[in-house]
Amino acid sequence: MADMNKNPIEFKADDFVLVQEGMRIQDKKFETKATTFMKDAFKRFCKNKSSVIGAIILAILILCAIIVPIVSPHNITQVNSSEKFLAPKLFEPKVKIDPDNIVIGQSANGKGTVEKGFWDGTRKYTHIVFNTEAGVPALSDKYSVAAIKRSLTDIYVYPEPELVDVRSPFGEGGAIVIETDSEIANNDVYMISKNLTFDANGNYTVEIVFSSDTSIDENPEDIGEPVEGEEPAEGEQPAEGEQPAEGEQNPDGEPAEEQPKGKAVLGTYRVYIKTGESEADWIMIRDFSKNYSKISFNISEALAARGLTSVTGQLVFDVKSAVGARQYILVEKVLFGSNENVSNKEALEAASFDDATAMINIADKEDPGYWACSGRKGIHGSSLYYCDYVLDTYMLTYGDADLVTYTKTELDQWIADGWCTYDPKVGPESFVRLSDECPVDSVESQTVLGVTGKLSSITARGWNYRKMGYTEMPKFILGTDVSGFDLFKRAFAGLRTSLILGVCTAAFCFLFGLLWGAISGYFGGNVDLLMERFCEILGGVPWIVVMTLCILHLGNNFFTFFLALCMTGWMGTSATTRTQFYRFKGREYVLASRTLGSSDFRLILKHILPNAMGTIITGSVLMIPRVIFSEATLAYLNLGLQGKQSFGIMMANNQQYLGIYPNLVIFPAIIIALMMISFNLFGNGLRDAFNPSLKGSD
Amino acid sequence: MGKYVLKRIGLAFLTTFIILSLTYILVKLLPYERPLGGDPIQIAYFDKQYNLGYVGRYEQEMPELGKLLYKSPAFHGRSNYYYQVPVLKQYVNWLKNIITRWDWGVSKTYQPNVKASTIIMKRIGYSIRLNILSSVWAVPVGLLLGIWAALKKNSITDHIISTIVMIFIAIPSFVLISFVLRIFAYNLGWLPSTWPPDTASTWTKIKGYIIPVFCLSFAPICGYCRFTRAELCEVMESEYLLLARTKGLTRRQAIVRHALKNAMVPIFPSILAEFIGILGGSMILESLYGIPGIGKLFVLSLNYKDYDILFVDMAIFTTIALLAGVVTDLSYGFIDPRIRMGAKK
Repeated sequence: MADMNKNPIEFKADDFVLVQEGMRIQDKKFETKATTFMKDAFKRFCKNKSSVIGAIILAILILCAIIVPIVSPHNITQVNSSEKFLAPKLFEPKVKIDPDNIVIGQSANGKGTVEKGFWDGTRKYTHIVFNTEAGVPALSDKYSVAAIKRSLTDIYVYPEPELVDVRSPFGEGGAIVIETDSEIANNDVYMISKNLTFDANGNYTVEIVFSSDTSIDENPEDIGEPVEGEEPAEGEQPAEGEQPAEGEQNPDGEPAEEQPKGKAVLGTYRVYIKTGESEADWIMIRDFSKNYSKISFNISEALAARGLTSVTGQLVFDVKSAVGARQYILVEKVLFGSNENVSNKEALEAASFDDATAMINIADKEDPGYWACSGRKGIHGSSLYYCDYVLDTYMLTYGDADLVTYTKTELDQWIADGWCTYDPKVGPESFVRLSDECPVDSVESQTVLGVTGKLSSITARGWNYRKMGYTEMPKFILGTDVSGFDLFKRAFAGLRTSLILGVCTAAFCFLFGLLWGAISGYFGGNVDLLMERFCEILGGVPWIVVMTLCILHLGNNFFTFFLALCMTGWMGTSATTRTQFYRFKGREYVLASRTLGSSDFRLILKHILPNAMGTIITGSVLMIPRVIFSEATLAYLNLGLQGKQSFGIMMANNQQYLGIYPNLVIFPAIIIALMMISFNLFGNGLRDAFNPSLKGSD
Repeated sequence: MGKYVLKRIGLAFLTTFIILSLTYILVKLLPYERPLGGDPIQIAYFDKQYNLGYVGRYEQEMPELGKLLYKSPAFHGRSNYYYQVPVLKQYVNWLKNIITRWDWGVSKTYQPNVKASTIIMKRIGYSIRLNILSSVWAVPVGLLLGIWAALKKNSITDHIISTIVMIFIAIPSFVLISFVLRIFAYNLGWLPSTWPPDTASTWTKIKGYIIPVFCLSFAPICGYCRFTRAELCEVMESEYLLLARTKGLTRRQAIVRHALKNAMVPIFPSILAEFIGILGGSMILESLYGIPGIGKLFVLSLNYKDYDILFVDMAIFTTIALLAGVVTDLSYGFIDPRIRMGAKK
């Protein structure tokens, strides 16, 4: 031996030190800490970041599912429809406008749009009719104007009114459309007033203004051109009915008829006074055959010309129908005039109208005899203001502070409960609110029984939520559903049921599958063959069929679900176990143990199972999300779990509101998706941890 | 090989037979539902059932036979009384009727006295069309995504694809359908929010296919993508691919000629199985989107308590599932003769 410089290297005995002497290395105890299979797996699991995140999310969700249904005070069992469809609320909304002073065409942000706050219990509505009279958007009659005003956080009323063919109590102007059916002959349409009395001395006049707007018709060819060459009401046209001579004598025609601007009136039409049912009783006033934008005539003069002094009847505008063409009139205004001193001036004023929308609303609602019409009656070109607005749904539901009358019994109960004090002798000022539970804030007035002077009722202001039994304005983080249930609590209560079901099923399937798979895999041969055939048959039935049959026979309760899910679930575990047993039972260490005389039981439990455990546990954990999914799927098929809060039933019921209230579907969907994703991440992490060789194979 | 095929098919046939028999008996054990409708429908129904051997007809009441199903109106002073025959006897008659006349029963409440096979045939077309379309779309997309992810293994592309696939696999189908409906049908208004009726215009009908095909293909796309990626990754690390590279093939040549071909061995049978499997359609999608397929029929027959239709529908789903299993096993055997599923281990 020599080094680089060819100098011989000498070895001395001292240079060598025995690594060990006496004790053998295999007898020495490890200085490092011993680790078990599980600990090792846990260490590997912790290194996998995504799985740890999955596990954390999962833990949070499970904790929520346990805690939320216990802690949350909201009711999720008794339907309370007055609280339905509240928006999700976490923060307090900010009011951007002055609700008492809404300016048309001005928005709070100056951009002509409304802004909805983030997660503040508000909901945005677009293109809603604006009630110009009350200065608020037109909402259901259930809500008072004051409540709506308090609830508005932002509003933008479009600067220009829109002309629509919609009957709305908040519209204005427009014209009444009376239309014939083009398919039917002799189907005259008419507009008929209430009974009115006219006499020859009252100087009764009537002016009818027709709309010149012709945009109503979508089939212009149906309208046809106005008849040319026929002079209006000159008498050449033989009048219908029993009064042929009235044309020449008609003094009111010439000055009043203006040239038509459009095609508002089509075909021939007549004006007469209907004094009785038979046609002989009709007194023809005029017969027109051309389009006019306005006609006016003097009824008194027409009557005088016929030698009549006083007539009581209904004034009728009658449009002759024509087959194959739509005939209609668009009446904008009807104005009666008379001498100052006639007795029925009020009735005439009531029969006059210059706002067709207002008239049609009265005729619709209050007085059906008011300008009755035959044929299709509608409104055209009614001008309506529309708006976009953002509304605090909580304020609308709970914030109504309108006057409410409470009986003495109720008041006495509150006093007895110590919620307030009240002295009827002093009156409303004596009201003192002692408890937050008292539904009344202040008393406005009291009613006493006339004779005895005893208190009978009080009229007071209070907030709705106090009436509903809340001490403060409630807050629903995810909003409420159609039954007024808190979505947040309901979702987690449902999730809890699903989780319990999942864990129970997974536990049963784990144990049973393990047993079955172990026997089948360990013994092999004919035992295995028989057991496998059984699995094949049971496993060949789609799970939905098994579940459906179970539910149909045993009803959709918790136990049936458990049973049915177990019936389909254990085969997965058993197959995994069987494969693992096949894999490990031939290994040398098993053989060695067998040679040493281990029993089958010991071999299975002590030697094979611990090695196969990781894969089996992973399979069992991943069964829980499958159970949740199955339960929800069945709910969508109307077979959902009854008698307990069910996540699936909640989602399936809310599905129909996807278009209007998407939060009812989206939030539970996010929760369940999060649950599934984290379960998968967790399961994958578990598998990688137990069996590192499978890592990355997804 | 021939023996293996025969054995496999014979076994599957036996399994199907046992399952269908059990299902039939279980369905027949449910409380009897009478058909909807007046006496003519009832008489027509019960006489047919009598002729097929499912109910017994008597001229007087026979309380010992159980619940009276129907008493026909008196004719010449006599009424017919109908009773159910024992379930096992019904089962034997049912087998006979299927073998001799291919009679699967009639509807009772959903469309009284209409043959089950007629109802199914009318509806199965929608399901099949939809599923073929979604398969045609899902297979290439899923495979390409999987191949792309595998070739760019551990790059950002791979991570993005894998994450998206993981998320979409985890999200339940009804959640996904809700989101798609919300965004594309309600918010954007591009697509119809329910299945267009048969009278709709062609363009609307085409648009009506988009959401269901999209939703149906999500799961298969993710499945194919994951599977392809896993298989291809495994093959890419194999020694024969290394050999292929060392003998001078370019990466592209090695992948196309060796890696892809070998990776397809397990993928192809799964495509076949998937293809058959989704013929059954998605019950949830069909009921949520209002598609008149056999998945919707399942829900309808449950709601109508029309158990004969329900049974036929369930029989279809079961048969399809078993068929998929057989086809997978057989195609494995054909593609790679070394693999014989069911062979002795």
